[in-house]
Amino acid sequence: MTRRRSIVQSAAGLAGLSALGVPLATALAQEGDLVIGAAPPITGVFAFAGVSLDQGLGDYCSWRNESKGGVMGRRLRYVSEDSGYKMDQAMAVFKKLMAAHKPPAFYGDSTAWAKAAAAEVSQLGSTITCSPSYSSDLADPAKAPYYFMAGPTYAAMIQILLEYINRISKAGKPNIAIVYSDTEFGRDPIPAAKAHLAKLGLNLVQEIVTKPGSVDVSAEVAKLRRAKPDYVIFHGYVLAPIPEFIRQMREAGMGATTFMGTIWSMDKSTADAMGATGDGWMGVMPYRYSHDHKDAPMMGVMRDYAQKKRQIAYVNTFYTHGWLVGMIFSEVLERTLKARKPLNGPNMKAALESITDWDTGGICGLLVSLKGHQIPSGRIYRYDAASKLFEPASGWIRTA
Amino acid sequence: MRIGDFRASYRHDEALFATPVQRLWFALFVLGLLLFPWLGGSYLTYLACLTGIHVVAATGLNIITGYAGLISLGHAAFMGVGCYMMAALASLGVPFWLALPAAGAASAAVGVFVGLPSLRIKGLYLAVATLAAQFLLGFVFREWDAGTGGVRGVNVPAASLGGIVLSDDARIYYLIMACAVALALAARNLFRTRIGRAFIAIRDKDISAEVLGIDLFRTKLLAFAIGSFYAGVAGALMGYFFRAITPEHFGLALSIFYLAAIIVGGLGTLLGTVLGAAFMTLVPEALRGGVALLSAWWPNAMALLSPVREMVFGALIIAFLVYEPHGLVEAWRRVRRFFHLWPFKT
Repeated sequence: MTRRRSIVQSAAGLAGLSALGVPLATALAQEGDLVIGAAPPITGVFAFAGVSLDQGLGDYCSWRNESKGGVMGRRLRYVSEDSGYKMDQAMAVFKKLMAAHKPPAFYGDSTAWAKAAAAEVSQLGSTITCSPSYSSDLADPAKAPYYFMAGPTYAAMIQILLEYINRISKAGKPNIAIVYSDTEFGRDPIPAAKAHLAKLGLNLVQEIVTKPGSVDVSAEVAKLRRAKPDYVIFHGYVLAPIPEFIRQMREAGMGATTFMGTIWSMDKSTADAMGATGDGWMGVMPYRYSHDHKDAPMMGVMRDYAQKKRQIAYVNTFYTHGWLVGMIFSEVLERTLKARKPLNGPNMKAALESITDWDTGGICGLLVSLKGHQIPSGRIYRYDAASKLFEPASGWIRTA
Repeated sequence: MRIGDFRASYRHDEALFATPVQRLWFALFVLGLLLFPWLGGSYLTYLACLTGIHVVAATGLNIITGYAGLISLGHAAFMGVGCYMMAALASLGVPFWLALPAAGAASAAVGVFVGLPSLRIKGLYLAVATLAAQFLLGFVFREWDAGTGGVRGVNVPAASLGGIVLSDDARIYYLIMACAVALALAARNLFRTRIGRAFIAIRDKDISAEVLGIDLFRTKLLAFAIGSFYAGVAGALMGYFFRAITPEHFGLALSIFYLAAIIVGGLGTLLGTVLGAAFMTLVPEALRGGVALLSAWWPNAMALLSPVREMVFGALIIAFLVYEPHGLVEAWRRVRRFFHLWPFKT
């Protein structure tokens, strides 16, 4: 009885202490700081990406403070809490940080969060937002005026892949198969992809939908074998079931088929996990890889800072995404402050849309325009299983 | 110390609030609910809204599982039915005070259909049947583009009362709390009636209940209908609250969440439902707040401790079940007994 009571009392004390988190954090704030809030998925199904996203965005803020004194003399303060990749938790973090810090910039965790928060963000009119989502629904400045994405939409990514296929196909129109996951993430670009396929006159020979982490894909592979595609585009997955598809199709003698993916299946860790199966794996990336920093000074700066601060041997694409988002947030804040305008939604939206021909220091290969609240360009990369690196397979392609 | 609690009549014995002290506490509770948005701020109001929605849904599940003894793993799907029905009606301009009961009725109809196997099967077999309903309805939510918007989901217009649009948390809070209090009192009332006692009789020994003249099939279907009605209203409230709904909101994880809430809170008790829903909603937030507090001194705390947070939450649930198998409500009753009998020992 006594032992049970002490356990309950200890738990109650710990819960009470945690309630101090909000006022204490506020008390520790320095006046004049520009707060960038975030709800990255540190735990949950996308934790492998969320940890790096969080580090990339946080490290950019630290680097900016150390190297440039922040933005217009005001230090950037990065405040983040784990969302667990759950929309209600992400919203709770959003509301908590908005109440405590009123950040002019906020980074969410998913499409679900971005859609749920859109109404409140519009109503508040005080914050510019971003998230890992490249959903087409969010790329509409009319529907989501204070949201931007640090890359092209998923639909635009598949367009880049199709444009590349169309350019390199010399003899006749190739056969294309699309394999996507049965999620909002997977289904988002499919109608636009089919329309673009038709526009380019490419042949869609098979369309397959699977569960996101499917294990048994033998029935689907049988359909692909019958369809004999020259290219198979995967979307809506991070890893599984792509390696299984590729392995079974190679074993079935389809060695000439090229397999391609979009941003979230194009990290080095994903390709490394594919092993020998991943050799020749191609896809579209809106950013350079961190090993490709020859003509990209900011990539070198980012890599050096990450290695110095975190002893990271290889900086992954999620970290790069976080770093670039930090750059865009800072650019928006700087332009607004330089114009001597208050940091509110309409002013920051105007500043965002004024970003044209902006040099990201080589992170994106082309000069960036955020007029449409997205960066509509990317490059095709191919994975070399021998060197375990992605190498460029095309120049930079702009979609709009 | 309470010296005596004399119930002089059956009516007095069955009263929801039998003593003036209970009525006073309830009045203070309602006053606290009314003042909360002003005192709590936007973050705590958000958590209160979420807790209110979970209380409504968990009450429904407690009626089906805790009181009637019918295990249901499809509760989140019933919420989805209610939510999408409300979204369809709201887009046609139907006001919330019609859309909410209509959403509940739609879920009740689906719940009755899902409850049909309960005539033949019970226990884990019935649980699997309701699990099938969870997956079937999830498939419909994802694939029926015309009705549910498919995987993209639907946007829900804000509820409005007269000229007041319930577009922010402080306003929608009152709608949610009004529904939560009203439905909780209705559930409490239900178990003073013959129908409620029939549910309990079926849970305890359905063969004996049938011998006593209770129509098993009709009563079980009624339990599913009422519990699903609650789920439908909770789903509709969730739609009005988040305003953007996708099928991913109503997955199996949410059904398990509510099952855990009623078990941790205390099966077969209304107060247990409230405590369990509050526990499942607020404890993860408290743990995350603790990690955030540590981050002020230890920059890597979030990356290292966030996964531990999930384990701590799971361990807390197990600890409560081990040390208090009757749930949080029993711990609450022990506290009450202490104060009722003080200075005497319990």
